[in-house]
Amino acid sequence: MAREFQRGHKAKISDLTPGTDLYVGVQIAAPGLTFDISCFGLDANEQLSDDRYFIFFNQPKSPEESIQLLGAQSGDTESFRVTLDRIPANIHKLSFTATIDGAGQMSQIGPGYIRVVAGGEEVVRYAFTGSEFTTERAVMLGDFYLKDVWRFAAVGQGFDGGLEALLKNFGGEVAEEQPAAQQPQGAAPSFAPPAQASAPAPAFGAPAAPQAPQPAPSFGAPVAQTPAAPQNPQMHAAPTMAAPMSPPAGTVPPPAPSLYGQPPQQPQFGQVPAQAPGQMPGQAPGQMPGQVPGQMPQPGMPSPYGQQAPAAYGQQPPGMPQGGVPQGAPQGGAGLQAALQPYRETATGQRWTPQNQQLMRVDLTMGGTPVLARQGSMVMYQGKVEFSYKGAGFAGRVVGNATGQEMQLMRCSGRGQVFLAEDGAHLHSIELQGDGICVSAENVLAFDESLQHEVRRIEGHGIPGGALFTMMFQGTGTVVVKTHGIPVVLPVTPTTFADCNAVVAWSAASQVILSSQVRLRRNAYPGHSGETVNLQFRGAPGNFIVVQPYEV
Amino acid sequence: MNQQLAGFAPTPVTARMENHGRTMLKVAMAAGQDLYARTGSMVAYEGFVQYEPNPPAVRQIAAQWVTGEGAPIMKCSGDGLLYLADYGADVVVINLNNDSISVNGTNVLAFDAHLQWGVEKVKGLAKFAGQGLWNVEIAGTGWVALTSRGTPIVVDCGRGEDETYVDPDALVAWSPNLKVKGKRSFKASSLIGRGSGEAYQMAFSGQGIVVVQPSEDSTDRLRIRH
Repeated sequence: MAREFQRGHKAKISDLTPGTDLYVGVQIAAPGLTFDISCFGLDANEQLSDDRYFIFFNQPKSPEESIQLLGAQSGDTESFRVTLDRIPANIHKLSFTATIDGAGQMSQIGPGYIRVVAGGEEVVRYAFTGSEFTTERAVMLGDFYLKDVWRFAAVGQGFDGGLEALLKNFGGEVAEEQPAAQQPQGAAPSFAPPAQASAPAPAFGAPAAPQAPQPAPSFGAPVAQTPAAPQNPQMHAAPTMAAPMSPPAGTVPPPAPSLYGQPPQQPQFGQVPAQAPGQMPGQAPGQMPGQVPGQMPQPGMPSPYGQQAPAAYGQQPPGMPQGGVPQGAPQGGAGLQAALQPYRETATGQRWTPQNQQLMRVDLTMGGTPVLARQGSMVMYQGKVEFSYKGAGFAGRVVGNATGQEMQLMRCSGRGQVFLAEDGAHLHSIELQGDGICVSAENVLAFDESLQHEVRRIEGHGIPGGALFTMMFQGTGTVVVKTHGIPVVLPVTPTTFADCNAVVAWSAASQVILSSQVRLRRNAYPGHSGETVNLQFRGAPGNFIVVQPYEV
Repeated sequence: MNQQLAGFAPTPVTARMENHGRTMLKVAMAAGQDLYARTGSMVAYEGFVQYEPNPPAVRQIAAQWVTGEGAPIMKCSGDGLLYLADYGADVVVINLNNDSISVNGTNVLAFDAHLQWGVEKVKGLAKFAGQGLWNVEIAGTGWVALTSRGTPIVVDCGRGEDETYVDPDALVAWSPNLKVKGKRSFKASSLIGRGSGEAYQMAFSGQGIVVVQPSEDSTDRLRIRH
C-alpha cells in the first residue's frame, strides 16, 4: 500500500520497498503553463559537481544510465527510472525539481504529486497543491539521499528565481540569457524524442529487470552526448533555462519575482508557506479590482499582481462578483473526502509518527512497551487502550508542589493508536539510542516507558518557583518534546547561555555528569528586569541545547 | 512598502470559499447566495454585505441552541467579498458534494445558507452546566468552512471493530452516520482529559471519518466578547 507523505517526511527506501530499480513519477500541471521536470544528481556537499548528472529533457540519462528520463506516461507529467545500486558513489543525493517554463508562479498549480513506484506498485506518494506555494517559480519536490542507506524525503521547497536560482543553489552555472538559443542547438530537440519514445514502461514495472531499457549506442550516436566537458556549455545554453529568464514580451506583466523581490530580502514570502499570503491555486478568471468587469484575464498570467497596487481597493466600486460567484470545484475535486484529504492520518508503520507539526501518533502495538504521557495530552485514541494514573514519583510531586504545576503522567498501555497533542504546541520526537537528554519538565509531552527517567532540580535564586525542574532520559526509546514555535538547536560552546525559561532541552552526554555540565549563572545582568537568570552550558563538543522562542 | 505588502493581496476569486493564508477565509458573496457565519467572525468585507444577527430562520432551526444571548450565527447577504477568521485558528474549507458532516458548534465558521442543517445536543455528554456540546449537522451540496486550533487530523473510524475515542475538547467534526456515545475510560483514581474531573471521551463506531484538532482548547473565543 502506498504511503502518503507530507512535506518533510522521510523514510528509508528499504522500508518502503525491497527493490532498488525505481520509477519516479511527477505530476504537476497548471492551466496555460508548462513545466520542466529535472533531476539533479548532487555530491556530498549538495553541489552539482558533475553536469552529466543533471537529468533533464536535453540530457535524458546519466552516463551509466542509473538515472533516466522516461517522459510522460501513466498519468505522470514526467517520469524517471532510478536504479539506486548503479548510482556512482560520488552521487549522494538526487533532487527532483519542477520549474515553470515561462511566466507564472507555483501558486497556480493544481494538485500534483511525486510518487515512487517499485515493481509496478506505488510505494510512496507526496501530494502537493498550489496552495502550499506562492510566487515561487521552481520547486524541489522530493529527494533521494544517501545517509548510510538511500532514503526518500518529501521536500516541497520552492525557489523564487526559477531554474536559475535552483542551479545556483546547486552550484551549477547558468549561461547568459540566450533567448535565441534554440537555433544553435539544432541537434538538441531531435535528441529528446527517442528517449521518450523508447521508454518501455511495461517492462520496467518489474524491479528485477536488470537491463537498461535501451542499448547505449542509439543514444551516443546522434549528438555528442558522451560525457565530455565540451558538452557542458551547450547544456547550459539550453532553451529551457534561458526561457524563464527572458523578459516576457508584449502586454505580459513582469513576472512575479520582480515585484516580490528576491528571497534574501523577503524570505517570508517565498519560503515559509505557513505564513504565505493566500495565494490560492488556480488563476482562473475572477474579479480583481482594477479590472474591467467581465474582462477575463488569461489564465496562467500573474497579471493581477504585476499591475495592481493595493491602493486600487479604495477606488473599486463595490459589488465585485460580477455575474455571480464562481462555484467552481476546489483543487482536488469536490466533496468532503477530497477537502479533508490533506489532513488524512499518515501511518508509516513506525511506533512514533508525527501526523503534522502539532500532533503525534504512537502505535502501542509496535514495540509493546507502554507510553507515559502528560495527563490531558491525549486527543484521540483507537483500539483497546488503557489509561492509568502514573505519578511522577516523589520528585515529580516535588515539582508539582514547588512550581504549582502538576506534572502528572498517565500510562497508556494496550493495543491501539494514541494521538497526542497539547495546545497546538509543536512536537518533536527525539529518538534516544543509549544516549541521554535533559528536558525541561514543562516541555515533556510523552516518552516510552522503556526509558530511564529521573527528575532533577536546578536551584537558583530568581528562578520562578525556586528551581528549574528537568527530566533526564536515558536508554533506548523516544521522548516527545513540545515547544512553542520553532526551536533553535545550538551547539554547546564555552560561551553558550540560555534563558532558563526558554530552554527546552539539552544533551546529556553520558560520560559527563549533569551537575557539572550545567551551571547556573546568577544575576548575569544585575538590574536588568527580565533576563536575570541564565543558564550556562558546558560540555564536550557535540553537545547541544534546544531553545524555544517563547519564555514560559 | 507596497511592494512588501503586495504579496498579501487577495488572489483572484476562483471559488465561493477560499483560504487566504491558513487562518483567514475569503467568501465571494453574491445576491441570492446567503451565508451563515459565526457571529463576530467577520474581519473585513468589500462591497455591500449586510449582516443579520439572530435571524428568524436560525431561531427556528436552532431553537435549542438559542440561549439568552441568541444563536451564535449571523446571516450574511449581499454582493462582495467577505473575510472571516476566528482568532487565528486554522480554516478548513470543504465543498460538500451531496455529503453530510457533523461539526462541533464552536468549530463552525461559515456555511452556505441553502444547505440543510440542524443543531443537536450530543447525547451522553454533559460538560458544564449551560455549555453542553452542541453540534451542527450540515448536509447537501455547497460550501462549509471549519476552524481548527492547529493543523487538524482526519482518521477513518471504520477500521476493524476498534472504536475511536476522542477528547471532546479536541473534537472538530465527524461523519453523522457514526454512532456516538460518551465514555468514561479511566480506572479508579486515574484522570485523563483535562484532569479537572470530566474524564470523558466520545466513542465513535461505524464507517466514517473523525476530524480532531491538536489542541484541547475548545473555548469559544468568538462568544466570550459578548
